[in-house]
Amino acid sequence: MSAQKRKKLALITTIWGWRNHANHMGERFLNGYPLNGKWHRPEMDIAGVYVAQRPEGDLTQKRADKHGFEIYPTIAEALRLGTDKIGVDAVLLIAEHGEYPNNEKGQKLYPRYEFFEQIVDVFKQDGRAVPVFNDKHLSYSFEKAQRMVAASKELQFPFLAGSSLPVTFRIPPLELPLGCDIEDALMIGVGGSDAMDYHALESMQCMVERRRGGETGVRAVQLIDGDEVWRAGQDGRWSRRLLEGALARSDSRSGIALTDGRPQDLAHSDELEELVENPAAYFIEYNDGFRATLLMLNGAVKDSTFAAKLKGVPEVQSMQFLCPGQPNVVYSACLMNKVEEMIVSGQAPYPVERTLLVSGTLERCLESRLNDHRRLETPELNVSYQAPEASHFCGALE
Amino acid sequence: MTNPKRPKIAALISEYRRYSHGQNIVDRFLGGYGWESRWHHPEMDVVSLYVDQFPESDLSRERVERYPDLTMYPTIAEALTQGGSQLAVDGVLLIAEHGDYPKNEKGQTLYPRYEFFQEMVEVFRSSGKSVPVFCDKHLSYDWDKALEMVETSRELGFPFMAGSSLPVCRRIPSIDLPWKAEVEEIVSVGVGGIDGYDIHSLEAMQCLAERRRGGETGVVSLQAWRGDRIWEALSAGSWEDGGFDPTLFEACLCRSLSLKPADESNRHTYPEPEELPQLVGSPPVAYRFEYADGLRATMILVEGLVQDITVAARLKDQPDPLSLLCYLGGGHDMQPNFFNPLCHHLEHLIANGQPPYPIERTLLTTGLTAAGVESLWQDQKLLDTPHLAINYQVGVESTFRRT
Repeated sequence: MSAQKRKKLALITTIWGWRNHANHMGERFLNGYPLNGKWHRPEMDIAGVYVAQRPEGDLTQKRADKHGFEIYPTIAEALRLGTDKIGVDAVLLIAEHGEYPNNEKGQKLYPRYEFFEQIVDVFKQDGRAVPVFNDKHLSYSFEKAQRMVAASKELQFPFLAGSSLPVTFRIPPLELPLGCDIEDALMIGVGGSDAMDYHALESMQCMVERRRGGETGVRAVQLIDGDEVWRAGQDGRWSRRLLEGALARSDSRSGIALTDGRPQDLAHSDELEELVENPAAYFIEYNDGFRATLLMLNGAVKDSTFAAKLKGVPEVQSMQFLCPGQPNVVYSACLMNKVEEMIVSGQAPYPVERTLLVSGTLERCLESRLNDHRRLETPELNVSYQAPEASHFCGALE
Repeated sequence: MTNPKRPKIAALISEYRRYSHGQNIVDRFLGGYGWESRWHHPEMDVVSLYVDQFPESDLSRERVERYPDLTMYPTIAEALTQGGSQLAVDGVLLIAEHGDYPKNEKGQTLYPRYEFFQEMVEVFRSSGKSVPVFCDKHLSYDWDKALEMVETSRELGFPFMAGSSLPVCRRIPSIDLPWKAEVEEIVSVGVGGIDGYDIHSLEAMQCLAERRRGGETGVVSLQAWRGDRIWEALSAGSWEDGGFDPTLFEACLCRSLSLKPADESNRHTYPEPEELPQLVGSPPVAYRFEYADGLRATMILVEGLVQDITVAARLKDQPDPLSLLCYLGGGHDMQPNFFNPLCHHLEHLIANGQPPYPIERTLLTTGLTAAGVESLWQDQKLLDTPHLAINYQVGVESTFRRT
């Protein structure tokens, strides 16, 4: 393809430093990435860049010098490449990391919505909208996230968002059959709240959205933590059988497995409660009556696993969302491959409603935590969508 | 008390400390392991233990206290007879990897696999009875000893399984070489050094190569290289020009989850040819060998450039190579759960007397390992390997961990 025909991208980001998301994600379009046993170099170039914060360690100028893109002082200029009309064919909005305040719910106020508004303003003023990728959740605020999705519908541009976990490698490469009857589902996640719980909730969502009837939205949520989590398990509010199924997929148990090497059946020992520092359970009730649970088990494991019981299938289905380590973090290449697919085809490979629903579910869970861990009804989370038939995770078998 | 109907196992271990092969395998029999969606407890019991060395970090004594049905014996014969006069177990795990053993002048550690095996078969002979045996990793550092072990197993007629966990571990993607495919060339890129990790990479290659059309035919010659000759072979551009297929090398690097970036401040980049030598921690090693049916193979160890083991094969009339990562985990304080599928096969071996794949595979990889070390010892000389005319066939069914 000639240089003239190569697509141009704008990268709009909060911060571009070593090991943050601009580095993980954006640089795949500078360096290429491994794909199906080849080093794949996208037929597109980052042309305009806006970076909101440039503290010590900023890599923006270094990358610009090597790769020849322009750094602009505003989002509008980065999209217009210094001209008076939008000059790029797609936008990467990566607003994770950087110095931003937290709100009372513990959410970091990353300016995704604010950046997005400025992007959409350019689309409107210039009469041309291009595909947008929004890294991770849409906004800390469900209302803002809704407005983002509404704008993409109004201006009819392809809009892809979300975490890399739904598209990373799975071991084993499990996909639930589209239209299956799921009786119960449990996700085990790790890491801090409002960062890693988002990843875990979206991982769970990309599995359960394949249930019969499609996604119907969430009617209520509850977040509990501490010893209440174990009591809830004893009361049958989450399934110990599914806990066993998910933990059987973990390769990173702490405790005895590390100190003397014995593989440890954490689902059936007291060690689990000793190891988990501050357990949390996120109970999600869906409009069609389905329920799913996320357990955050920091201290016991370091990987993300999932288990589900399907009606009529005796064996529990389970797997690990594999997140290969630094410095390559190949899961981010899996996600950028989906972004590239959207830019080339003009269609998001999976619905942005997934990310909208999970953005809202997380926010309401954090409100439950703030409101004495009460169950909150969430009529506003009536987000319906149909999951794609095709699997989109890396290494999915034909 | 152990259930008398459950098979009984004797484990012969060089060293039982945290993460030694003996610990990893025997502890999975004693305490179970994650398998599919369950914590799986093998339907058999390790009842006797022989341990050769007791370093400060030994865990075998702790395990004997923890598991009342497990008894330690001072000799291999007593472990096999449970202190009596006749063979009293239904299966033997011979795990002689790790421990403080001398090295020979070629750099091989003289693990006493053959010696343990000989003591074991003496009991088989005197009891007039044999049981299934697993020998962890290669059969021996020495070809003649390995061959004798296999011949003894044939003579006494006991099921004999050996090898690394590489052939049975997970793969990313989760694929196998199509059965009876026509394979032209195969390359692996792996980690570690000779007499330790070469066997793992060779097993990873062989479990794919043996599925090719016509079955296994054995290896006719091998040459080992160390250092810059490997980069010269890469830039040669093909086997015909004295090297190996660079597209297979690239496919391997692109399946790796640990490819080292040349610029430390950069993300994940594909190395330029001139960057490769500086990215490898110790001098790289390659074993380049040719099979009797013409298949060409190159095993490359590039510790530092990657930290995992990948394989790529060029199939006749296929535009893209078949390539995969042998997934072992790594980092993040991860458990070596690639022992889970190995234990799964061991249970089947002991319960049913059927090895999942022929012992000839491990005999061949043992011979290739010894030939590679020998070639390096003889100044990287090209060696004819008529002794490796090993023929065998595998079935269509895959034996790596898919579920």
